[in-house]
Amino acid sequence: MADLTRRRALKGMLAGSAVTVGLPLLDYFLDGNGEAMAAGAPIPTRFGTWFWGCGINQARWIPDKIGTDYDLKAELVPIGPYKDKVTVLSGFNCILGGRPNLPHWSGVMATFAGAAPLRGGMGSGSTDYPTIDTLVADSIGANSRFRSLEIACTGNPGVSYSMRAGATVNPSEVDPVNLYKRIFGPEFKDPNAAEFKPDPAIMLRQSVLSSIKDDRDALMKTVGASDRARVDQYFTSLRQMEQQLGQMLEKPAPAEACLVAKEPGKPELGPTWEIAVKNHDLLADLAVMALACNQTRVFNIALSNAASNLRRSDSPIAFHELTHEEPIDEKVGYQPKSTFFMEKSMETFATLLKKMDAVKEGNGTLLDHSLVLATSESNYAKIHTIDSLPIMVAGKAGGKWKSGQHLVGKGDPSSRVGLTIQQVLGLSVDSWGSGAMQTSRPISEVIA
Amino acid sequence: MVLRRLALSAGARPNRLGRGWISGAAGVVLAGGIAAGALLGTGPAPTAYAATDAAPVEPATGGGPLSFRRLSESQYKRSIEDIFGATIKVPGRFDPPVREGGLLAIGESKVAVSASGFEQYELRAREISAQVLAEDRRKTSLSCAPRAPTSFDKPCATTFLGHYGRLLFRRPLSAQEMATAIGLAGEATVKSQNFYKGLEIGLARLLASPNFIFRVERSERDPAGGQRLDAYSLATRISFLLWNAAPDAELLDAAASGALRQPGGVERQVDRLIASPRFTQGVRAFFADMFAYDQFDGLSKDQAIYPKFTSQMAKDAQEQALRTTVEHLVTNKGDYRELFTTRNTFINRNLGSLYKVPVDEAAGLDGWVPYTFGPQDGRSGILTLAGFLMLDPTHEGRSSPTIRGKAVRELLLCQPVPLPPPNVDFSAVQNTADQVHKTARDRLMVHQQNPVCAGCHAITDPIGLAMENFDAVGDFRTHENGALIDASGTFEGKAYKDVISLQTLLRDSASTSNCAVQRAYEYGVGRPLTNGEQPWLEFAAMGFAEDRYQFPALMRRIATSKAFQAVGADRIASRE
Repeated sequence: MADLTRRRALKGMLAGSAVTVGLPLLDYFLDGNGEAMAAGAPIPTRFGTWFWGCGINQARWIPDKIGTDYDLKAELVPIGPYKDKVTVLSGFNCILGGRPNLPHWSGVMATFAGAAPLRGGMGSGSTDYPTIDTLVADSIGANSRFRSLEIACTGNPGVSYSMRAGATVNPSEVDPVNLYKRIFGPEFKDPNAAEFKPDPAIMLRQSVLSSIKDDRDALMKTVGASDRARVDQYFTSLRQMEQQLGQMLEKPAPAEACLVAKEPGKPELGPTWEIAVKNHDLLADLAVMALACNQTRVFNIALSNAASNLRRSDSPIAFHELTHEEPIDEKVGYQPKSTFFMEKSMETFATLLKKMDAVKEGNGTLLDHSLVLATSESNYAKIHTIDSLPIMVAGKAGGKWKSGQHLVGKGDPSSRVGLTIQQVLGLSVDSWGSGAMQTSRPISEVIA
Repeated sequence: MVLRRLALSAGARPNRLGRGWISGAAGVVLAGGIAAGALLGTGPAPTAYAATDAAPVEPATGGGPLSFRRLSESQYKRSIEDIFGATIKVPGRFDPPVREGGLLAIGESKVAVSASGFEQYELRAREISAQVLAEDRRKTSLSCAPRAPTSFDKPCATTFLGHYGRLLFRRPLSAQEMATAIGLAGEATVKSQNFYKGLEIGLARLLASPNFIFRVERSERDPAGGQRLDAYSLATRISFLLWNAAPDAELLDAAASGALRQPGGVERQVDRLIASPRFTQGVRAFFADMFAYDQFDGLSKDQAIYPKFTSQMAKDAQEQALRTTVEHLVTNKGDYRELFTTRNTFINRNLGSLYKVPVDEAAGLDGWVPYTFGPQDGRSGILTLAGFLMLDPTHEGRSSPTIRGKAVRELLLCQPVPLPPPNVDFSAVQNTADQVHKTARDRLMVHQQNPVCAGCHAITDPIGLAMENFDAVGDFRTHENGALIDASGTFEGKAYKDVISLQTLLRDSASTSNCAVQRAYEYGVGRPLTNGEQPWLEFAAMGFAEDRYQFPALMRRIATSKAFQAVGADRIASRE
């Protein structure tokens, strides 16, 4: 009934403007999408991925102790304050099953898409299957203003590990100013604002999109069989935009933790460590506030590409090159310069956790109401190993995920992590992955 | 006949087999060894084709699929400029391009529109349309006026949307498309009580349509048998190949009237396009793609080591190489192969500081002046231009012979190089500060001790090491870490002493000219060459030789060929 009342009220308001309500608008107001967002409703669960390139030193990262209260090795120390909200997963592999080990690529898609890819390498390539964030977004993100937000910190929008099938990435926002404008620009409706007036121009935009759908049938008949999926992708994207516009016509549910962020100053962009981390902080602040303000429920952050081109501002050699070329310091038993990036990557991840944990929602925090899958494409990048990929899942999914454990996969495919996440987030899926990565065994230890 | 033999000797073989070396990723490690043999000229001796005296006839091809290609960012912007005028602002971010089979043009046949990418197309459509229908522009945008500005004038709307629809879709709107657009414009006029707002909405709809954003090809029955592109799709392929732009009104008219399909019709249009000043921009776009100049976006170098490098210098380096190429190939109708040996280039003051060449103050900071390298410069040919030497986005602090060699193999010789294998310990490869291995050659020697690495590095490194006399931004040097640089090596079994003599070998190698033919064709059709097209490639390579390797003639040959418009029978969309 609440919806009906709101619809009547809106109709009344619109009648006063120059625009009459068209059918598409009615559809949106009748489908009950707003219910979950209404005041008093449960706090939504969010999902994110966080990617860093070039792996870890496993002796300095993987805890010895299995189960709860795991030990923190040197490289994992930064996550200490959030240890009981972080699940560390080791021993989960990228299993090739006869497919090639594409350096800095197979490991990415094993965990994110549940399949060893056939083409690619050096941090990019194609995938035969969609990445987990798109699957989750289709399920929990369909009714938010942005189905998902992609973010990268080194200035290159092509750095993104969010993909539907094919070679096209969902490109990343790299500039905090642009991301700010996209989320909090003129089209942003403050969920806590007292007044709400739908913008008639939005309805005209909807009618444009609705009209373009008439092109679909003729196009599908014209293009070759292999291109039909690409036509479909175009119209899927168009429908997402329609839904986004539909959201903008509804009065948003209040969001207690929503604080509209300030516009950041014009940043410097580039692949040095110092700049990337600065941008990570700015971009992550915006992403966290987009989550708190119900603008999206899914995000992807890539600190760097998989063959990480991050370098320190006073050094000419990038992280990726270092992993291959820097000699191992016999005294300490690892490559010191490469290890700088590994340790700092974990520190940077911890800053995201800090930001998420600082947002209070209901009886917990935004982090408690989220799952963040953090991983890298290699275990030991120096020799491109893809056994025991470093994986963490932060958050509790609103209590559905038992966090704070170190669990060991004993050589199982890393797709088990993705399957578990999907099930915990309520997706109806009993098996995930393809080929040797296919699995129907969730990690039961984390399911509450 | 000598020319003909040349074109099909030695290098033709690797080229023919080029894509067979590394089929997908399977057997990457093995491929290294095999490819190394083939590339280093140690494989079986290639056979030359017996030349015949009969005039060559274009061999039939199986035809390729109809393509569905996204407009590149530059093609989108140029379309808007051509159709609505240069003062229209095109806002927003474009999805990143994807390189496939050596070309972004092939990648455009593979990419899809992401959700955030669509957001940007929608934004652009609205903002462009609003500018076109802005009060101060209406008079120029419209050839008619409505009876009243507050009510819908169907004939005027039909004229407006029909005119721009044909230019945007590169064919007339179908009756249904027109009805949809008119219906929407009418509805929006009623809602807004504003005819121009109605047109704005109607135009935005065309601008956000996949029929504009993508080049949608259609086929028709070829009277000579099989299938071919329909006239509008052919006009579009020709126009994007030669101008990197959508067909103009005259070309669309030729497609509409059937003139394009009359004997000599295609040739007439192709000759018109090649004679136009816009042909230069088409050739420039092709080489920007073939040279992988998209990598200049965001290119940076370590400021502490290369204080001369600035983003303006990167821009100038790119401009210099493209200017040099276009001047040589189009203005001077030069031999394509001599791009590798020409001493003629252009220079401005900014580059003058890098090349240590005084440039006349009168040229101004952005002014370009022709320049001929002398013996003191140590440069000739495109491989010695900064636009080639600094183009390495993976190393900011030094030159990489491997990356440079890989670029020559893949971009200029059409010879794909396998990816590095997994599970190999690189610890033997030391860093630049290493006092034992002072030069890149010393450091890379280590690869040769590892048989898994040696195969592929033997393909890339010798070529790259020839360029070691130039640092990562293209500055000339004779020493690295105090040790004399040795730039010698062998290519296709022939020795060279430095990059200049290497380029002489490249000039004389059939791999070089064949690659240009292959890439230009693939660029035009938007897909990799198919097996059925190999005989055609050989035919076209022969033609290129007969045309004395003149690039405009090659473009003409491609644009007027049957292969260019043939559509494979099994590639037609089934009409269920």
